[in-house]
Amino acid sequence: MRRETQNVLLVLLGATILKLVITGDYLRYVKPTHLAWLIGGAVVVAGLGAIAIWRDIRRNMAATRDRNQEVPQPDGVAEPACGSDDGGGHSHSTPVSWMLLAPVLAVFLIAPPALGADSVQRSGERSVSSDSSRAASAEFEPLPDEEVVALPVVDFVRRAAWDDSGSLDGRTVALTGFVVHQEGEVQLARMVIACCAADATPVTVRLGGRAGPQVRQFDEDEWIRVTGTLVPGSATEHNNFTPELDTRQVDGVPEPRQPYER
Amino acid sequence: MTVTVTPDTDDGPPRARRRTRVTSTDVLCVLLVLVMLGQSAVQQVLDVPALRTAATVFVAICIQALPFLVLGVLLSGAITAFLPAHVLRRVLPSGENRAVGVAGLAGVGLPTCECASVPVARRLIGQGVPASVALTFMNAAPAVNPVVLVATAVAFPGEPGMVLARFLGSLATAMVLGWLWARWGKTEWIIERARRRVAGVQPGNRWRTFTETARGDLVDAGGFLVLGAGVAAAMNVLIPAEWYGTLSEQLLLAVVVMALLAVVLALCSEADAFVVASLPGVPLPAKLVFLVVGPVVDAKLIMLYSGTFGRSFAVRFVPVAFVVAVACGLAAALLVLGGGGR
Repeated sequence: MRRETQNVLLVLLGATILKLVITGDYLRYVKPTHLAWLIGGAVVVAGLGAIAIWRDIRRNMAATRDRNQEVPQPDGVAEPACGSDDGGGHSHSTPVSWMLLAPVLAVFLIAPPALGADSVQRSGERSVSSDSSRAASAEFEPLPDEEVVALPVVDFVRRAAWDDSGSLDGRTVALTGFVVHQEGEVQLARMVIACCAADATPVTVRLGGRAGPQVRQFDEDEWIRVTGTLVPGSATEHNNFTPELDTRQVDGVPEPRQPYER
Repeated sequence: MTVTVTPDTDDGPPRARRRTRVTSTDVLCVLLVLVMLGQSAVQQVLDVPALRTAATVFVAICIQALPFLVLGVLLSGAITAFLPAHVLRRVLPSGENRAVGVAGLAGVGLPTCECASVPVARRLIGQGVPASVALTFMNAAPAVNPVVLVATAVAFPGEPGMVLARFLGSLATAMVLGWLWARWGKTEWIIERARRRVAGVQPGNRWRTFTETARGDLVDAGGFLVLGAGVAAAMNVLIPAEWYGTLSEQLLLAVVVMALLAVVLALCSEADAFVVASLPGVPLPAKLVFLVVGPVVDAKLIMLYSGTFGRSFAVRFVPVAFVVAVACGLAAALLVLGGGGR
């Protein structure tokens, strides 16, 4: 691959990442704390390409000027070649460098959405409330003293599975997530990420109760906000600690800016 | 003057070259125009759930890892431009075996993940550091630094032994690999251009050397990183999750499967602990093996190795590193966790 092409690819790649940052779409792929890394990385990638382009242009201009001054040769024959004078033009890179174009095309062609129902169905039994998080959940803060408590889904599921103090008993909670139709039931799901979408783990809540039939009308991946109460003892090892919500009300909502929980 | 078909790198007259050859720049332009014209058509073809999930994971791994690779190439550029070889020689102990030990512990000081350390190791070799020492540093840094250890502690709140076990297992892996290389490794396995000494940099030229080295390393390694991310994204979608559920009974099977998973999933060493902690029913020693293998051998690293050090290095180093990492992980598990715990 030629040096010029490499530089254009670097600028394209940097610009693509900056686009994700500016539109806020980067939150579909990584956690918010990566923002500074992304900006820094994108600026350096595009910058290294841009600096090399600028240098090449300047060197070519200088070479042309020297040529015109010293040996005027209008037919352009046998002048000293530019572009290979001082090792700057080493273009030995492998064809694999073309792969730098792949993320650019993926972002502009597929515009990959935040992980949704498809990932939940692929995840099988992986769950944040599995064995190792048990000890962490020994102490839970009491819920705020409001009539309807808006909780992260992951918090709700952990409390339902491990909280022995009964902080959810009789409390009405509001949960926001997307709809998954799985094994004949309707679930509210949210993905939890530690770093990027590659390590996403789903948390799910079964939606039953009065508003259950209403929930079924929502399609997969539609975002909803539900209110209701925990069905006590519904999160067991047998069902992989998926609690059931006695759903009172359900509303469609737009996808939140930050689709993942952590 | 002769008008012949000249390769890109030739010093031939530029005009003749342009007339006789389709360059990569032309290909890129045509490709971009095609993409712009066919965008909506392509978008419809690609609108399949599995493909969308894979694309999300692919872009996620790319943009998550790229800044760390950028940090790595900046460091490698700085090493080439500003760190003269004689200074490095003075800092490292003279004996190769002792230098390997120092390099392993020095890994504590580079708080990044594995993508950053590969280009750094390459430039260390270019500055005359023995390959065994540079490789030890490369394998230790992503696994034993404070950021990764804290992440591990957070992911395994009930198992404080995991942090110590991971530290020991990873450090042992890096050092054993370094000593193995010092004893049996051959420098010729590493591709010539990675070993090439950068000729003494003139003082006035340092910034130019810095940016050109960083740029070249980024183009070289970036493509391989993206390729590895593609493999990992495909595996993420293709491997049925039910496999995890069958691992609780047999420890040996679990260890082997988790080691292979670490390779194909290619997670960042700062995030892998959270993933492995969420797998139900997998024995703890197998989880530890996952954490020790991942930062040394995984899909994107294999690509980075063969891109940076050459294929003949990768085919020898990767299998040995895999076996050593599994063995060290198991040893650390026996030592710290006492074996069969969950």
